[in-house]
Amino acid sequence: MKTGKILCLLTGFCLALTIIVASQVHATLGESASSITVNKKALSAVKSTTRTSSRYTVHEFQSETLAVREYVSPSGVVFGIAWNGLSHPDLTPLLGSYASEHQKAVNQTRRQPGRRHVKVKSSNVVVEKWGHMRNLQGRAYAPALIPQGVNTDEIK
Amino acid sequence: MKLNKLLFFILISLLVVSCSGGGGGGVGTTSATLSSIAVTPLTPGIKTGETQQFAATGTYSDSTTQDITTSVTWSSSDTTVATIGSLSGLATAVAAGTTTIRATSGSISGSTTLTVTSPTLISIAVTPAIPMINLGATQQFVATGNYSDSSTEDITTSATWSSSNTTVATIGSSSGLADSVATGTTTVAATSGSISGSTTLTVIPVNVLPITVNGSLCSSGSYPNKPCVKVKICSPGSTSSCKTIDDILLDTGSYGLRIFGSLLTDISLTQVTSVTGGSLTNCVNYADGSANWGPVKIADVILGNETASSIPIQIIDSTYGTTSAQIRSLCGNPDVSPSSAGFNGILGVGLFTEDCGSGCVSDPNNGRYYSCNGSTCTATTASLSKQVKNPVSMLTIDYNGFIVQLPAVATGGATSADGFLILGIGTRSNNTVAGITAAYPTDSTGLFTTEHDGNTYSSSFMDTGSNGLYFDSSIRQCTSGTAAGWYCPTTTQSLSATLAGYTASFSIGNASTIFNSYYYSPYYNVFGELGAPYGASGYFDWGLPFYLGRSVYVVIDGNTVSGIGTGPSLAY
Repeated sequence: MKTGKILCLLTGFCLALTIIVASQVHATLGESASSITVNKKALSAVKSTTRTSSRYTVHEFQSETLAVREYVSPSGVVFGIAWNGLSHPDLTPLLGSYASEHQKAVNQTRRQPGRRHVKVKSSNVVVEKWGHMRNLQGRAYAPALIPQGVNTDEIK
Repeated sequence: MKLNKLLFFILISLLVVSCSGGGGGGVGTTSATLSSIAVTPLTPGIKTGETQQFAATGTYSDSTTQDITTSVTWSSSDTTVATIGSLSGLATAVAAGTTTIRATSGSISGSTTLTVTSPTLISIAVTPAIPMINLGATQQFVATGNYSDSSTEDITTSATWSSSNTTVATIGSSSGLADSVATGTTTVAATSGSISGSTTLTVIPVNVLPITVNGSLCSSGSYPNKPCVKVKICSPGSTSSCKTIDDILLDTGSYGLRIFGSLLTDISLTQVTSVTGGSLTNCVNYADGSANWGPVKIADVILGNETASSIPIQIIDSTYGTTSAQIRSLCGNPDVSPSSAGFNGILGVGLFTEDCGSGCVSDPNNGRYYSCNGSTCTATTASLSKQVKNPVSMLTIDYNGFIVQLPAVATGGATSADGFLILGIGTRSNNTVAGITAAYPTDSTGLFTTEHDGNTYSSSFMDTGSNGLYFDSSIRQCTSGTAAGWYCPTTTQSLSATLAGYTASFSIGNASTIFNSYYYSPYYNVFGELGAPYGASGYFDWGLPFYLGRSVYVVIDGNTVSGIGTGPSLAY
């Protein structure tokens, strides 16, 4: 089942199966918009808003100290997440099935002391973090899931 | 025939002569026996570490003599004074004293007395070299004698100490302990007989901390443009249970003092209790993806010679409170050790008083404070008084801000750069507002706007903890090697930008050239022209290169400084 999940991630074709398989875990990226409710609870959000454009929908949850935005494609799949606040959120539930490959990539990333931006790329997901102590920011996206015509810089 | 007979006689004669020559040496003779051995030189004297070759001469029953140095057995009566090669007769002096050197062959032996004397003092080295201390502090000096035998010895208590300017510092004549009297410089000397050694002691005001960018206060395995200071940590209220720690990263981009717990094991600090009764624990995520995790404890923090009494600091401990899996989930990738982090601690002295502020007072899910109890840690709120504090903001006199003063470095780089962190603004004669060309407030998170090359960077900040100038630009980047992704213009670009309306100049050099002189001779560490893209639009990170050649004033949130304004504000 796990292998099936990973293989499916490589092809948009299998997305429907991925959604079904992974909906039990607190995960988001690459999954259906319904996982958003789970995250809203996990993040103890006090406020949520939704913005819709022709190319995607943005669901934002805000606690007093952290805002998380999830970017959902017209087909209903979360293709990107952005956040800002006092800390970086726990990425494990947010990255879902991408979390382990991301963690492996983090472990292999050489530290760059003195930098205030980090970009960790693995086969299927890109995670970036930046900012400063009172306002840390970041985003994660699965390049293969980004709808046509959407620029990664829009995930912010 | 007659001729043949003559030749035969000559040959036989030669043979007999050569055989009798050997017989004189005691070899192959049956008649002469060894009767005595003489050891030379007769009364030798050498210094420790030196060697002496001895010779043995045998006298035989037929009154002949022979050099028998290599056929006797050599010994030394006191091998703590000198040792000797049992076959070679080469003695090595070990320590002052006398020893009998004996050569033995069968029942016959001969001897002499070797006198070993102490080596002579050639020079004295006084350490630490060129130290700087704050007014009110003391400095213990050490004198190391260098001797003729290449040995060294600590002669601190046997040397005589002096200070050339006793109005600056006095020194105990037999202790080497210097006591500051006033700011200034004095020559401290240690003398023994006719030999002396010296160094210069500088006494700086109580509110000044030396900064070395990749200098003596940094660990050797550092990275380019790393500013280091030292701080003293004491048990609350104690003046003796203290520890001075260097290789502390000076970071104007964060708030609060954080030190690895492994360096403070011998100092008792008070754990701060969370609102729910657990141990208050702190998590700080940094923008480079690293983090610091560990308990909040109360300590006296001494900066220069000023004390921030009983303030919360973070004890960095990546194993504290719960399982490593939970810590990773709560706090990302926490630094494990000074060597993995690249520093012993971080002195966060930026624009704000606490590391979090009001957000952590009301929202338990702030991601920064946790309450650890048993083996679990849960999200919690933390009142302002319990949050990790910017130590400068907790000083008695100089709490309103500080000045970071660093020298300019030559184009191309420098090995290190020495400057000062001056505490307080306008509170003393050495921290008045002078020579500034820009003064402006930041927003409530420390940001301001930079305009450069037609671009607007609305998220701009000043940060000594960033080691370059990071901003997205069309400047050419290196595509390979260690400089890949850094700016690599063919020639150094002299640029200008407007920061909150004030123009400032800066330079971006070729990172390939820069890293070449970092990794290879001349092994430079400090570079004023190091830059790279930030990686997120709208950001301009004015890192350490901006500070080189400037005095940057930081007014802490809520304080007002005449000539600059109300904090959070910057001036330079």
